[in-house]
Amino acid sequence: MNSKRVSGNPSLRRGVGSKTTDSDKIMEDPPAGDWLTLRSDQLLEWIDNAVYNVAETTGMREVVNRVTRPIFNYGQRFSPHPLHFGIMCCAIEMGQASAPDHDIDRLGLVYRSSPRQCDVLIVNGPVCEKLRPKLKTLYEQMPEPKWVIAMGECAISGGPYWDSYSVVAGADTFMPVDVYIPGCPVRPEALMHGFLTLQKKIREKEPGMFLRR
Amino acid sequence: MEIKELMQKLSALKGASNASMIRDNVVKLDIDKNSSKEFFTKLRDDFGFEHCSLITAIDNQPEFELVYHFTSVNKSVTVGSTDMSVMTEVHVFLERDTPTIESISDLWGGANWHEREAFDLMGIYFVGHPDLRRVLLPEGFAGHPLRKDYVYEIHEEEW
Amino acid sequence: MAEMWISMGPQHPMTHGLWTLKVKVDGETITDADPELGYLHRSVEKMGERRKYFMNTTLTDRLCYASSTTWTHSYVLTVEELMNVEVPERAKYIRTIMLELQRLASHLMWAGAYMPDLGHITGALYFWRDRELFLNLLEVPSGSRLLYNYIRIGGVKRDLPDGFVEKTERVFKLFEKRLDEYADLFENSKIFRMRTQDVGNFTAAQAQNLGITGPNMRGCGTKFDLRRNDPYEIYEEIDWDIQTREAGPGYSDCFSRYMVRIDEMKESIRIIRECFKKMPKGPTLASTIPIRAQGEAFRRTEDSRGEALMYIVGDGTDRPYRWKIKSPMFTTISACPHYLKGYKLADIPAIMGSIDICIGETDK
Repeated sequence: MNSKRVSGNPSLRRGVGSKTTDSDKIMEDPPAGDWLTLRSDQLLEWIDNAVYNVAETTGMREVVNRVTRPIFNYGQRFSPHPLHFGIMCCAIEMGQASAPDHDIDRLGLVYRSSPRQCDVLIVNGPVCEKLRPKLKTLYEQMPEPKWVIAMGECAISGGPYWDSYSVVAGADTFMPVDVYIPGCPVRPEALMHGFLTLQKKIREKEPGMFLRR
Repeated sequence: MEIKELMQKLSALKGASNASMIRDNVVKLDIDKNSSKEFFTKLRDDFGFEHCSLITAIDNQPEFELVYHFTSVNKSVTVGSTDMSVMTEVHVFLERDTPTIESISDLWGGANWHEREAFDLMGIYFVGHPDLRRVLLPEGFAGHPLRKDYVYEIHEEEW
Repeated sequence: MAEMWISMGPQHPMTHGLWTLKVKVDGETITDADPELGYLHRSVEKMGERRKYFMNTTLTDRLCYASSTTWTHSYVLTVEELMNVEVPERAKYIRTIMLELQRLASHLMWAGAYMPDLGHITGALYFWRDRELFLNLLEVPSGSRLLYNYIRIGGVKRDLPDGFVEKTERVFKLFEKRLDEYADLFENSKIFRMRTQDVGNFTAAQAQNLGITGPNMRGCGTKFDLRRNDPYEIYEEIDWDIQTREAGPGYSDCFSRYMVRIDEMKESIRIIRECFKKMPKGPTLASTIPIRAQGEAFRRTEDSRGEALMYIVGDGTDRPYRWKIKSPMFTTISACPHYLKGYKLADIPAIMGSIDICIGETDK
């Protein structure tokens, strides 16, 4: 699901730290006429474009991003909300990691049941042919930004079921994976190390652009 | 009744042959395919085997073999003075081209899904089953994987 | 009111494991149900035909991940019957101890997953904290927390180390005290009783016909336990009782099925204490184990969830010709229209949780 909206000139797809002061590269004016006659989505688009044009021409956008980017990054790093999804043995160790002895919840994890409210998808078991389309749907329903952790041997490469006629050889054959955690089953300490690796990865990336562009 | 008496009575029924004992509490025999439904009805009603444990399908290369296991929970058959519960193991042989047999899912509710699995993985058709479709494999899957002549790709070499 | 089908799909917090339950509701009352399995089908039976007999113990551990030693044990017993292997006495006692510790860990896993279904999230934390004690105990002889590969053909992998008996006694003293405290939180709580009593009833005759075994059948009052009625290892030489409960004459509900498992946990502690007293010294692995096998054999054991049966056919080579696994949960899930009809939609987590589903063994 592409949540970016580009209107007007598509060559204006903004990357990191873009600066432009050319007045002809700025997006075209919103539809003329009374703003009271616009539909709700057209009105939002008009406001969005107006604010964006002002911020881009005055250079405010870069200043605001420089302030908010670390804050958004901090928020994403310390509250990864995983999906309440368990396939096989590694899911039992994932559950046991939330138990009082290991307590992985101190990293900010809150398990959510609906994929619309999650950041992280943990694939913790072998992916069968029957499950593959449903897992792809779950991944596509998650909003950006999102990450995938492949937990255990079965999710990395098929594991002990490499010669089965109905197990897919790893989760990275049909979706992008960010962190691989080896083990069969994965100990709770290893899962915690996996989440700390994910935090390091989020820190190096630069998410959290204000104004969505 | 005692288990020896059970073995004699079962071998006297129509279509039964090759009766023998396994360990102390299991009676094993072969049954002809056409008189199987009658035999199973008598097994449940007269001899008291009220639990269907398992239905296995085996692919001996020239033919199919079905193995049924039944248990008696309520001590209608005893082994001396011990507490052991008695089981019956029944073998039925089917030909390769049209493996069909009558379904026993109206006698035992637990046999319903065992027959569906035998159909799904081995391709044996049960006549009279209320809902015979695939249970473990996805719906559009072609073929019956547990047959010995099912070919599929393995990405490593054999060892 | 119009009737409609609601699909509680593979990813759902209620379904412990990946399966779909489609229920037909008329308002809030359930009128029909249609379960769908197969999301975890790994073709263990076909893979087992490509591996040698002793290599299959890595596959059987992963059949039911909550109670893995009992499935390996079921497979190993069948192969020993096929190959005519004699197991030494000490190995039988060690196997019984590991099986009962595994049964305790499995029932604690079930209880910790059942409580959040009823809304009692604190219960999950209590039971899973106690499960850690038993996982640490099981780790001492075998080296792994969850999938042990400890029971081998002909005995066990290695002997129990020194100090194991004292560690186990310490854990039991702590755990028994805690079980008595939990009675106030769970059994004697009025809300728990309101949610579980008279919900999900089925009679003993229905259970036997539909293929429901194990603690679910013992919750109807039937005194049938494969450790007594088809004994294996050393269960005949120890003094222990079969635990049954019933909600009324010959039928069960969620509360009686819950109480049967709590009673079984206390009985397991008693069995392990008796084993420690009577254990002889000696070897722990048979001295000669054959490689090839011919013929057919089957054995059934009392898994934490019911009757587990394995049937193996050997053709004279060192790999099985046909290996069939019977799981108790396969037929129990197929019978769900019988114990779901007539109840409300909000009762589904309570009923399906009390059946104790583990999808790994069902889907093979």
